[in-house]
Amino acid sequence: MAALPTMRPLGSLRSLFKTQEVIQPQLGRRFLSTAYSQRPQRVPLPQSLPEQFLSQVPVRMRPENAPKPIKVYTPPPSARKACKDPVAKVTETQLETLDPKGERKALFDYRRNPRSIKPGDIVRVTFKNGDPFNGVVLSIKLRGIDTSFLLRNELTRVAVELSVKVFNPNVQSVEIVQRAQRKIRRARLYYMRSRKHDRRSVENVVNAYIRQKKAFMGGGKR
Amino acid sequence: MAPRLPGGLLQSLWDTQLTIPHVSIRTFGIRSLNPPKPSRFNNNPGLPILESTSTAALRRKANSLPLRTGAIGIKKGMTAIFDTETGKRIPCTVLQLDRVEVVSHKTRQKHGYFAVQVGAGWKHPSNMLNSLLGHFSANGLSPKRHVFEFRVRDEAGLLPVGQSIQANWFQEGQYVDARSNTKGKGFAGVMKRHGFHGQDRSHGVSLTHRSMGSAGPSQGGGSRVYPGKKMAGNMGNTQNTVQNLKILKVDVESGIVVVSGAISGPKGCVVRIQDAIKKPWPEVALTETAAATETATAA
Repeated sequence: MAALPTMRPLGSLRSLFKTQEVIQPQLGRRFLSTAYSQRPQRVPLPQSLPEQFLSQVPVRMRPENAPKPIKVYTPPPSARKACKDPVAKVTETQLETLDPKGERKALFDYRRNPRSIKPGDIVRVTFKNGDPFNGVVLSIKLRGIDTSFLLRNELTRVAVELSVKVFNPNVQSVEIVQRAQRKIRRARLYYMRSRKHDRRSVENVVNAYIRQKKAFMGGGKR
Repeated sequence: MAPRLPGGLLQSLWDTQLTIPHVSIRTFGIRSLNPPKPSRFNNNPGLPILESTSTAALRRKANSLPLRTGAIGIKKGMTAIFDTETGKRIPCTVLQLDRVEVVSHKTRQKHGYFAVQVGAGWKHPSNMLNSLLGHFSANGLSPKRHVFEFRVRDEAGLLPVGQSIQANWFQEGQYVDARSNTKGKGFAGVMKRHGFHGQDRSHGVSLTHRSMGSAGPSQGGGSRVYPGKKMAGNMGNTQNTVQNLKILKVDVESGIVVVSGAISGPKGCVVRIQDAIKKPWPEVALTETAAATETATAA
């Protein structure tokens, strides 16, 4: 074709004819599709079948080999239904011994109890081994048995933080030394770690509180 | 090819010359076509047990197989328990045993080893294959959702079929092994899956910061990738056993078993717990199973 440049425009026409030829038989093509058909029903053996014919029936289709219904036994009582939340139950049983009256839970339940300890309060914790720890409450984590609070203080000019588990049997008592002076708008006072907002040592406040308490106790005795 | 003499002729000549003088004396009467031969093998009674037999395998395992069966629990979550004396906080996992019952036995005679097949939970019979449903019904049990085997040392550990395993099967203070499937992580790269260090952030590295680099040695090392090469792939969802976990608390009514420490898998996964093989067996084990079998035989 390259030898005959004058024939080129006609060549493009030929392709048009070709496409028509290709398309037309496809239009008339017929497709096979599978029609839905119901599952065949099991045909029972005729009732009045003479016994000598049974030997001609396949073994598995003979009446004596018909599938027997399987007896399904009822399950025993469910432990899962008896106790829907086992983790909560374990926590409850523990709290019954660790916090029988629910006082400690109420003391730290700052979302519901208005008289509870709140972030920003100054708190004094005494442990069973005798070492007290004072500090500002930075945060309270309410996590069931793992409920804890974070205290911050300064000892020998070094900032110290201590996280205390509320229901730990080693914690003897938790006292509120001083409520927060201003309204605290946050639940986590981590900004108090920055130099600008650091409360520094709370020993002065605590010592004053202890003195006052001693005087009060002495007055009570008299 | 060189021409050959006819074979038949040569053979007959050979036979007549050699076999006739050696004919045995007893050429008459009834003789066995397959006379007894001495065995080629040394099978005297006093021989030691071969190490590649199932008997030897069982003998080797005898010390590391628990005496009694375990139980199937569902992991319900983690919490902590405070030791009231020391005040120490012990992190723990809460498991729940739900309708755990013995389904069937595996015996040395029939299956080659002793094991107790245990089922737990309940599954609707319409969701179950008839073969499995029949297996439960034949043993008089309701359809079980989870079925597992627990190997035991000998037939003394085979609890009677149909006996339920309560939470008090485990004593507080005893140790157990817990096996369960780990959390699935999907298709993970080599850094996450095998702890590879990856490659540099810069220094000319482009687009391959977390890839494994070369997969094999050069030509001198065989020029191929060895089997078992650590590569990227599916991570997690494989069985893991955590050994020597202490039983901290047990509650029969709610089926709660509290176990110290963590157990592999997400909440709601199936956990199999059995007596720890690296600790002394719990003392109650044998007496209790013996009592159980006695009651079963009496009934």
